Amino acid sequence: MIHIELPGVLQELADQQSNVEVEGRTVREALDSLGRRHPMVLTRILTRGGQLRPHVNLFVGGRDIRQGLGLDTQLTDGDELLVVPSVAGG
Amino acid sequence: MLLEERLEQLKACIRRVSPAEALARTDAGAVLIDVREYEEIAQGLPPCAQAVTRGYLEMRISDLAPDHDQEILLMCAATTRSLLAADDLHKMHYTNVAAVEGGFDQWKAEGLPYVIPALSDPDSQTRYLRQIALPELGPQGQQKLSNARVLVVGAGGLGCPAALYLAAAGVGTLGLVDHDKVDRSNLHRQVLHRDDRVGLGKTDSARLTLEALNPSIEIKTHAVHLSAANVESIFANYDLVVDGSDNFPTRYLVNDACIKLGLPNVYGAVQGMEGQVSVFAPGGQPCYRCLFAEPPPPELAPSCSQAGVLGVVPGLIGLLQALETIKLITGIGQSLVGRLLLFDGRTCRLREVQPRANSDCAYCASGQAFPGYIDYVGFCQHREESEGVDQD
Repeated sequence: MIHIELPGVLQELADQQSNVEVEGRTVREALDSLGRRHPMVLTRILTRGGQLRPHVNLFVGGRDIRQGLGLDTQLTDGDELLVVPSVAGG
Repeated sequence: MLLEERLEQLKACIRRVSPAEALARTDAGAVLIDVREYEEIAQGLPPCAQAVTRGYLEMRISDLAPDHDQEILLMCAATTRSLLAADDLHKMHYTNVAAVEGGFDQWKAEGLPYVIPALSDPDSQTRYLRQIALPELGPQGQQKLSNARVLVVGAGGLGCPAALYLAAAGVGTLGLVDHDKVDRSNLHRQVLHRDDRVGLGKTDSARLTLEALNPSIEIKTHAVHLSAANVESIFANYDLVVDGSDNFPTRYLVNDACIKLGLPNVYGAVQGMEGQVSVFAPGGQPCYRCLFAEPPPPELAPSCSQAGVLGVVPGLIGLLQALETIKLITGIGQSLVGRLLLFDGRTCRLREVQPRANSDCAYCASGQAFPGYIDYVGFCQHREESEGVDQD
């Protein structure tokens, strides 16, 4: 089980859930699983072409997935996938 | 036993060095510790000395001299407290401890260098007493705060709490940039402003509050819209920038200017009940562009006025920015460079992640020539076309 932690702005599109539990061996598989349940959330994370949006960061174990294999980053049971979009409020 | 007898005993077994010799020894790596009280330090402090009052010496010594064989030179006003302190350090198994003969009085008489710390006036001695008492800060830390020139971008939800506490802490020169006027809808979070100042320029309102809080510091105001045309002339007068802006174009501009001028950028941003804090170091990675290569499409980036914000959240984030600023100035602790803190007010959970240092970053990558300022508003609006969200 992978725990996807959503920011407030995406919780509104995921039935107000902050933590969505999905299956997946890679980040891409986990996001696909998330997208099947909450399609609108996925459009906020990936582009139409299936790439990670430039203003969104995904962290697994505190590390940015862009630093490694990106969406192909391997996940293990119990991993937390943190979705961190850019915000500008002040 | 009388004190005089005790001191005679100590003189027989504790090495003493002249002030001039002490100065030369510090050049060779010895640690000079001035154990006088704060009001005595106010008369002058050798620039090469660490001020640690006698009462805190045993508690601080492991930080100042992790190695028990490190040469330690102790100084007081004469040579009494330094001998007693040296005896204590011997008992803690420090092997290379000496007392400075004649203490600071002799140091001064010999014309050796010293500085008058910022807390030399009675107001400062009292005002900063509680934070100077912090062993990590001490008079030297207060002096560094007094010498610091900090620019807060935005006198809004983040900038207000940050500036309030930086002013209270005694940051000597505090600048504020904001072109806006106080609106009643600001007051739930922008705590420098007041109801009777609605309509007044935010920097003018901020100045009134900050000068009332701490008249001993200099407040500089820049009631302009920050742009590529004026950013360098404003930033050039400061040592550090606190980004408390409320829009993407300004955030990218602040990032780029800080990289160009080699200034630390203390980043904070909020939305709703959530906030982010980090520090982007000068000459290092990552920077704001490494973290967020591009802004989101505007329809996915609601401002506080559109999305709403609980005032406490920017309050907390702004104070974390103030904390990081004070840490950078004084060298206390471990800064947030290379770390991003994520705060969720709903759960009161604070997470820490490692932003990626982008080796291809056009602005901060090593050996990269500064590519120039861009059309920041256009850059942020353009995303709407290229990165638009599927509306299906």
